[in-house]
Amino acid sequence: MSEFKLAVQRFDPLTDAKPRLAEYTVPMREGMTVLDALLYARDYLDHSIALRFSCRQASCGSCGMKINGRPRLACYTQVEELGGEKVVAQPLDNFAIVKDLVTDLESFFTKHKQLMPYVLRSDAQELDHPTAEYLMKPEELKKVLQFTYCIKCGLCTSACPTVAMDVKFPGPQAMAQAYRYLMDERDEGGEKRLEALDTAHGVWRCHFAGSCSFVCPKGVDPALGIQLLRRHVLSGKAPRKQGEGAKVWSAPAGSTK
Amino acid sequence: MSLVGEERAKNKRGIWGWLNPYHYNLERWAYTFQRVTGVAVLLYLLGHLGDTSFFVGGPTGTGPSSSSWSFIGSIFENSFGHLILVLVVLVLTFHGVNGIRLILSEFGLIMKKPSGIEYPYRPKSLGSVQKSLVWVAIAAAVVAALWTYLVLFEGMG
Ligand code: SF4
Repeated sequence: MSEFKLAVQRFDPLTDAKPRLAEYTVPMREGMTVLDALLYARDYLDHSIALRFSCRQASCGSCGMKINGRPRLACYTQVEELGGEKVVAQPLDNFAIVKDLVTDLESFFTKHKQLMPYVLRSDAQELDHPTAEYLMKPEELKKVLQFTYCIKCGLCTSACPTVAMDVKFPGPQAMAQAYRYLMDERDEGGEKRLEALDTAHGVWRCHFAGSCSFVCPKGVDPALGIQLLRRHVLSGKAPRKQGEGAKVWSAPAGSTK
Repeated sequence: MSLVGEERAKNKRGIWGWLNPYHYNLERWAYTFQRVTGVAVLLYLLGHLGDTSFFVGGPTGTGPSSSSWSFIGSIFENSFGHLILVLVVLVLTFHGVNGIRLILSEFGLIMKKPSGIEYPYRPKSLGSVQKSLVWVAIAAAVVAALWTYLVLFEGMG
């Protein structure tokens, strides 16, 4: 049975002054993911390895880490695709380390929330007492669909060179979501959104290194969202004003429902 | 509670995370070069402003034929000076052409429209049009530098 070397960055801020790489030998099996390898190491070689994971199928975004130098999901990276090199697992860059491979994504979620990742409406009455759904036209859905696939794994934000230097920069994930809601035909908060992005640390700090889209495991393409956002911010024109968002669906006359 | 490894636990990449493109895409390499050449161009421009100020009669100069002007000229009249000029042309051309790619990309002019996505995911923003423009910038820089080399070292042109 073939084996491979797995190096894991070990670091407990409570007791260690600096991180070190611990090496484990893991038996290879076909289709083995880096997450499988880490779990093998934790179960059979060293119970103290700290890592975070949940769904094992690239849906939850918990196991984001730096694998062989690049942010990836451990469950979505096969050992084989790393080309027979030693597998090196490290925590995501630019997020505080809790322990070993576990990072603190608090700042990431805070920035996401700051850019209002929800539909803003002016019809408060309808929101409080809904009479029907707000429906989107299929061609309108297409404009935002890919951005809705974001699982908030943080890989893009960890890969971003601007985030490495500017702590106030919202990062690719948050800005891609800003674009997603700006273009949503039900949304009426465009002006507020553009204002939030048009700051010294906002959309202008992106210089299109494209690393976010390069590492995104879900095809969200945050860089695309940000570049398209820029023109809206520059012109200051929101796609819709208050009261212009899609109306609630009403049943055609004669139908029973 | 103070943590022994408090500083390291912050895990900020800082300037190294900003400038190091290793393990990333072509556009990230272009990004790093754009930033570095940007600083180089700025330094060159300051020097250039300095030496051309002799031309308009700086502290001691009196005109194009003044001794100070010829002195400045003579600094670059050797192989080392010529090599610097070749590099300047290389850097300027890359920065300029790549800058045009960035303007076109950043205002969405050469971006494809968002749509549904298919597996395997290929980011549209890193698509072929803008990627080929990175290569155009590299090719233009090499050709311009080569031409400068031929003019300065082989006496062509
Ligand atoms: S945009 Fe992609 S990389 Fe960024 S958080 Fe969402 S799924 Fe992860």
